Amino acid sequence: METIRTGVYICHCGVNISATVDVKAVAAFAEGLPSVVIARDYLYMCSDPGQELIKSDIKDLGLNRVVVASCSPRMHEPTFRNACADAGLNPYCFEMANIREQCAWVHHKGATEKAKALVASAVAKAALLEPLERKKVSVVPRALVIGGGVTGIYAALEIADKGFETYLVEKDPSIGGHMAQLDKTFPTLDCSACILTPKMVEVARHKNIQLLTYSEVKEVNGYIGNYNVKIRKKPRYVDEVKCTGCGECANACRLHGIILNEFDVGLSKRAARYVPFPQAVPLLYTVDPDRCIYITKGKCGKSPACVDACPADAIDFDQKEEELEVEVGTIVVATGYDLLDPAKRPEYGYKYTEVLTGLEFERLSVASGPTGGKIIINGKEPKEVVFISCVGSRERKGITNYELRITNSNLDNQTSKMDGGARNEYCSRVCCMYIAKQAHLVRDKIPDARVRIIYNDMRAYGKGFEEFYNRVVAEGVEYIRKELEDEVEVIKRSEDDDKVVVRTISGGIELEADLVVLANALVPRKDADELAKILKITKSGDGFYLEAHPKLRPLDTFTDGIFIAGCCQSPKDIPDSVAQAVGAAIRASIPLMRGEVEVEPLVAIINENICVGCGTCEVSCPFDALSLEAGVMRVNEVVCKGCGSCGSACPSGAISMRHFKDEQIYAQIEAMCLQKL
Amino acid sequence: MMKEVNLIGFMCNWCCYAGADLAGVSRFQYPPNIRIIRVMCSGRVDPELILDTFLYGADGVFIGGCHLGDCHYLEGNFYAEKKVEMAKRLLKAAGVEPERLRVEWISASEGERFAEVIREFTEEIKELGPVKSEKEELEAACIAAADYRLRILATKERELLEEGNKYGEVFTRHEMDRLLEDMVQEDYESKRILLKLKKPMSVKEIASELNLKSNVVLRRILDLKRHELIGIHEIRANTPTYIANTREGFE
Repeated sequence: METIRTGVYICHCGVNISATVDVKAVAAFAEGLPSVVIARDYLYMCSDPGQELIKSDIKDLGLNRVVVASCSPRMHEPTFRNACADAGLNPYCFEMANIREQCAWVHHKGATEKAKALVASAVAKAALLEPLERKKVSVVPRALVIGGGVTGIYAALEIADKGFETYLVEKDPSIGGHMAQLDKTFPTLDCSACILTPKMVEVARHKNIQLLTYSEVKEVNGYIGNYNVKIRKKPRYVDEVKCTGCGECANACRLHGIILNEFDVGLSKRAARYVPFPQAVPLLYTVDPDRCIYITKGKCGKSPACVDACPADAIDFDQKEEELEVEVGTIVVATGYDLLDPAKRPEYGYKYTEVLTGLEFERLSVASGPTGGKIIINGKEPKEVVFISCVGSRERKGITNYELRITNSNLDNQTSKMDGGARNEYCSRVCCMYIAKQAHLVRDKIPDARVRIIYNDMRAYGKGFEEFYNRVVAEGVEYIRKELEDEVEVIKRSEDDDKVVVRTISGGIELEADLVVLANALVPRKDADELAKILKITKSGDGFYLEAHPKLRPLDTFTDGIFIAGCCQSPKDIPDSVAQAVGAAIRASIPLMRGEVEVEPLVAIINENICVGCGTCEVSCPFDALSLEAGVMRVNEVVCKGCGSCGSACPSGAISMRHFKDEQIYAQIEAMCLQKL
Repeated sequence: MMKEVNLIGFMCNWCCYAGADLAGVSRFQYPPNIRIIRVMCSGRVDPELILDTFLYGADGVFIGGCHLGDCHYLEGNFYAEKKVEMAKRLLKAAGVEPERLRVEWISASEGERFAEVIREFTEEIKELGPVKSEKEELEAACIAAADYRLRILATKERELLEEGNKYGEVFTRHEMDRLLEDMVQEDYESKRILLKLKKPMSVKEIASELNLKSNVVLRRILDLKRHELIGIHEIRANTPTYIANTREGFE
């Protein structure tokens, strides 16, 4: 048996660790531990000279185990493993003690003693570690992009341009996302549709992109390089090849002009057969299955009007839902956001026709919108317009004065409904600038309108933002500042009044308005949870998807091969979303270009001499990695994710988890318990 | 002054361990009594490991996983929950307060909550002080946890409650509780007897030492004998004494 020779390295991390941990004392303590040949401390172990220290010791002192006590292994384990490998030591003969995040930073007192215990535990485990080999697996040279907004479009184009086949899955009938709904974009005032639609067309035409609209990702199995994705393609009830997008079916539909059009945020009406907007990609008339008379009632006149009207004979009510199964190497998630439902905050008076959300204003203002770009409220041009910022953003959780009042007066029990994103502590980031832009548009279209903006703080942080803000102020838009805690409410003096009153609780502000625009918060999509579970990615406390590291790995998730970009990670504007899209696309392309990836060898192993083939472990494996062959259980090492549930289930103790073996964990426990406080 | 206590935490790599890291990054303070062992999934932890940790001298054990439904491995934490339940029953049998074992679901973004929970748990264990049970009691619980019956039950409990056994019989919560209670008690008593029989003893002697009824001891003795774990040592004045078989030959 080889003699264990361990080197222990204690990091000061500048003063991050050394401020509360006596690093020298820990090093001296480590020197006395069994198998330790050398214990050193150094200012920054992760720096080049720090890593050099380890490498030269491995060579000069013949170390065969290395322990670094520094930050979390979630941070620098790969760094030090690579350093070990560089010096010829198997990277799995390395163990880390987390004395920064879980010790120095959280204990004012007792940190040194705890650091000793953690180092002793790591040394004990290290002695029992076994060299492991990483398996190389080939990568399917295809990618999946989920979400067809501007972020998904850019990500898909970027990957496809590199020469890889890309599936772009969009839930709605058309790609384009929220950006397709916008009028002009801040701060440059270029028309949103003009810059987006060419890209949408490019996606549809690109030889490497397979566009799957009106489809949803239902199931994802596998691992980096080899994801198996099940996609549900909803029936449109139209032949995609034959449909020319002429629109005769929609004109003929018996529900023409009756159903609220979601794309216009309910400001216009459509038929049960529809395209969301004229520039839709693909331009196919889709059936709204919840409304279509033929589908819901089974009968629509003598024969459905759309069938009779279609000159291309494209209508096909026999279409069924399809399930596609695709194999991809990497996945980019770009699912975007939802907008806070303003009805969740009744104090803002959304029930009044004079009160609109920011997105509704966009549809009203855009030239291709239901009013042809004319801003009309109650049949006339509004002369007094008030914008309210931070509706549902920058608010602490907890009950507001408004809610207290209505619960106290028992008007109705609204408070119970006011949860789930009605108040969000984060800043939605785009509202300050889109309000400024919309204020500019009002002044542009109705020059004699008085435009006032009630705001808390002006956040003009981006390129050209402050300049744009200055321009809007110079144009005569009035900014009225209030305190964050000073709540706003929108009321009517009498129900038949066509004006609303915006006032603050403190009484400091009271304004009459013909039109009020609410900058409602950007919130996580309502299906964000479901998709997170399908992809096995994590979310942060605010409900958006969580990046692997806020600064160094902003586009990665904790699941290898799955990347996030755009507003699904946090609210951001178009330039930031596009930048992330391109970044995530590059991250997702790397494994595709390399053609193979290394997978962690941390899997379950079975001692076939002990296994009795009872099958208890099989029950607890959610990945079906275990199967009974000739009376003994076998592990499919590529499918096994290494959770260890089978090991803790095995009644005969035949299963052990590589790198987390029983004896390794027991060594840790023993060492920790020996170091009393 | 309250005595210092030793706490060991097993935390899953994806949620609770990351939550602990976030507590660090955000500098939320908590007492240094807890020492954290990283595992890939809370489902890795089994009752034997938990009881062994107490045997090594821990005064409290903390299991941290992802929120139910958020498990990185889909359902590892559901199994962890059942295994913790089993461990709690065994702790109780061994005379250790089950509150010394705590399971919490903490996500990677809940740094503040992590610190709060650990502060609270440390306080609770400080109130309880060091574990008072005898080593042999814990040891018996530990061997019981390692034995196949309880291990199978802890794993299959979910299946039995939701889908039923091979004959399609679905267990109610009440039935399952009774079954678990009986089995834990039985196995624990058997292991206590087994440990006592390192030296030869009669049924009566065991009964008085373990404070059990003689008929219960006799039943356990016969079971143990049937499994060839013990044998008759000698017969003294018509009273047999028993002794544990050495495990050589089994290994």
